[in-house]
Amino acid sequence: MPELPELNPVVHGKLRLAVLSLLIGVDEAEFTWLRSKTGSTDGNLGAQLMKLEEAGYVAVEKRFVDRKPQSLYRVTEAGREALAEYVRALRELLGAAIASGQ
Amino acid sequence: MTENLPKTEIADRLNLIESMIAEGRRKQESWGWTFVLWGVAYYIAFFWSWLGSSNYAWPVTMIAASVLTMLIIRKRRGRNPATTMGRAIGSIWAAMGISMFVVLFAMGYSSRISNAHAMIAAFTGMVGMANAACSMILRWKAQFVCALVWWAAAIAACYCGDAMLMPVFLVAVFLGQIVFGGGMMISESRQRSRSAAHA
Repeated sequence: MPELPELNPVVHGKLRLAVLSLLIGVDEAEFTWLRSKTGSTDGNLGAQLMKLEEAGYVAVEKRFVDRKPQSLYRVTEAGREALAEYVRALRELLGAAIASGQ
Repeated sequence: MTENLPKTEIADRLNLIESMIAEGRRKQESWGWTFVLWGVAYYIAFFWSWLGSSNYAWPVTMIAASVLTMLIIRKRRGRNPATTMGRAIGSIWAAMGISMFVVLFAMGYSSRISNAHAMIAAFTGMVGMANAACSMILRWKAQFVCALVWWAAAIAACYCGDAMLMPVFLVAVFLGQIVFGGGMMISESRQRSRSAAHA
């Protein structure tokens, strides 16, 4: 029986997965847009984004527009690869689950 | 991490990824206001140069409209995410604006072309080209119709008499900028209301 693939724990968190997937579809996005699309709280989203940033999967640019702080996030190349790898692993697991009749 | 992950959970995660990517790629920007703003700017420049017989009417109005557009875009940046599609569309209009500025003003001020018909034909032809390129990227038939209006104006400018030249230009601006931009703003506002209702 082939060995099942490991899922990346950083990408596996549901909110982190949602954020990474949202960022894949855009060049860059502001914190408030990510919050509205995921329906999460400021604190939770900030913490999950920090984890993604520490893993090198997202990059942030902080700036002031009309004296208001703005955080723009974009996915890095490592982030794209991690998500692609995660999707590949999920598909393999799904195939294995179907084959075993789970 | 891979143990005890049921089939439904895996499928849920794949669905989440798919829906979030689609959400990010959904059309976010609203550009109807730029068409209306530039339509009004063309009218201001036209009537200023016509009534005031000023050589500065077009350069001053066009530079002012460019600065105003950039300021509004900068203010709105961040409210919606930046997308590759948005960057492509913005690049087409920026490139068209620069081409128009460089070519038409060089033509006008060097007095190499003093024929107003050629100037209007070049102007409307370039706006038609930008609209057509955007409509092809967006696969949006309404904008291609707008491009056809501008190209028709370019052809009309070549063949019409002097008395008809300005009406041709003003009608093209009205249909291609004010009517098209106004319609776009109404449709964008409806889309926003629908999204808010579904949220």
